Amino acid sequence: MDLNQSMRLLSSWIAQIGGLGLDLLWRFIHLVVSLWYIVSGIIEAVESYAISLGLNKKYSSINIEKLRCLAVVVDIEEARDVSKVIELLQWLRTIGVKQVGLFDSQGLLKKSKDMILGTVPGSVLSEEIGEKNSSPDQNPLALEFISSSDNKEAVMKAANILLQDYLKSSRPENDKGENFFTETHLNEALRVVGENVHAPDLLLVYGPIRSHLGFPAWRLRYTEIVHMGSLNYMRYGSLLKAIHKFTGVHQNYGT
Amino acid sequence: MNTQEEVGEFTQIFNALMSLMRKFIFKVLCAGPIPNHVSFIMDGNRRFAKKHNLTGLDAGHRAGFISVTYVLQYCKEIGIPYVTLYAFGVDNFKRQPEEVECVMDLMLEKVEYTINQAVSGNLNGVRVFFVGDLTSLNERLRVAAQRLMEVTEENKDLMVVVCVAYSTSHEIVHAVRESCVRKCDGTGDDPVVLQVSDVEECMYTSVVPDPDLVIRTGGGDRLSNFMTWQTSRSLLHSTATLWPELGLWHLVWAILKFQRMQDYLEKKKKLD
Repeated sequence: MDLNQSMRLLSSWIAQIGGLGLDLLWRFIHLVVSLWYIVSGIIEAVESYAISLGLNKKYSSINIEKLRCLAVVVDIEEARDVSKVIELLQWLRTIGVKQVGLFDSQGLLKKSKDMILGTVPGSVLSEEIGEKNSSPDQNPLALEFISSSDNKEAVMKAANILLQDYLKSSRPENDKGENFFTETHLNEALRVVGENVHAPDLLLVYGPIRSHLGFPAWRLRYTEIVHMGSLNYMRYGSLLKAIHKFTGVHQNYGT
Repeated sequence: MNTQEEVGEFTQIFNALMSLMRKFIFKVLCAGPIPNHVSFIMDGNRRFAKKHNLTGLDAGHRAGFISVTYVLQYCKEIGIPYVTLYAFGVDNFKRQPEEVECVMDLMLEKVEYTINQAVSGNLNGVRVFFVGDLTSLNERLRVAAQRLMEVTEENKDLMVVVCVAYSTSHEIVHAVRESCVRKCDGTGDDPVVLQVSDVEECMYTSVVPDPDLVIRTGGGDRLSNFMTWQTSRSLLHSTATLWPELGLWHLVWAILKFQRMQDYLEKKKKLD
């Protein structure tokens, strides 16, 4: 083996050892980060229990009127446990929330709609509010069931309605469609295909990460998005805290 | 050697050491997966100016631009190929006219400065794209933005997408309009039906893939009408730090969070 080959071999060994060293350091850093998350999770859990027990006076009264519409996004794996969703809805009703949109990407909660409506006292479909003049419950909890089909697919259906109207119209040559395709028109077309266009004020995400997971993009503009952790470990105190924090938010909507 | 020279030499040594340390930190970070596309919602410039008693309507935004240069440098060193900056939203036009004019003038100043840097070869492989309703900008700024896009067209190391006069709702409406007009122009007797891909092709941000990580400064928990269509599988990271105060460690922390959740994010992408 000549000198060049030896040098190349040595460089290769050094690079491999260096790479291994960096990898170990990276894993060590992630171990420290995970420990940090465990500790902060414990602190959060203790705080949450204190809030649930009413030990923190700050959360004893919430201006719930500010929260007109709440949406809950549930990770698909966690949406399979409908009992947890039902428990969450019962908590929300206790707090005084009047309108909740439930979202999971694959529509599992939509499929369990009847069970949820039958189990959560005072719950009705949001589209039925106003249709029934006399509700047995004075303060019904209006529920809306949303999935990914209400996101891009719904916008496509609405866009195709606008497209058909555009095709049938007598438009000038070189028309760019500025009078046909506006926000107002798209809103109206979305209503025609049965979509709710109202934006929720607050979106609670139950799952491993803070992500809206495909909640209808058209409705998400200025919605506050809060990550609540796993549905399996949901806590009443954390829910109160998130809603309380929302009521203190001041939005300037870009101005 | 006099004091000034000593201080200058010390500063050089200090900067060199900081640079070495930063490169080492990035080397460690790159042992794990790095996001392909990071978006920044740059909030907090005005509060920064108020906090530090800075005078001038654009004082906070000037400080914000300095932060932009550092963040882009860090992203390039880490090896992130795409970065999007939410610079000015459609709703921001509702601010006081003097403030809007001030911000537009500042943007023009910085774009012209960046053009000079690009022409001098100092931009180091950074390609700049401006997206949004550019017709609502004044002509000087629009022309300057176009020029900057042209002079950086050949750069390939880092693509920086600057969203100006942008909002998701505006983007969706624009994309629907464009795709419908295209469909009407280009078809014979075939039924005319729009698909998701037709609309996504016409979106302002179609030049970049969907973001993996969205970082919002200023403490807000909302997307403020920014890329809500493209962020279904994005990790949304929010920090209370104001944009001009965003530093190396905030970016490192956000990437560490991304790396922790990488398995879950990959699983979600495969489900799609």
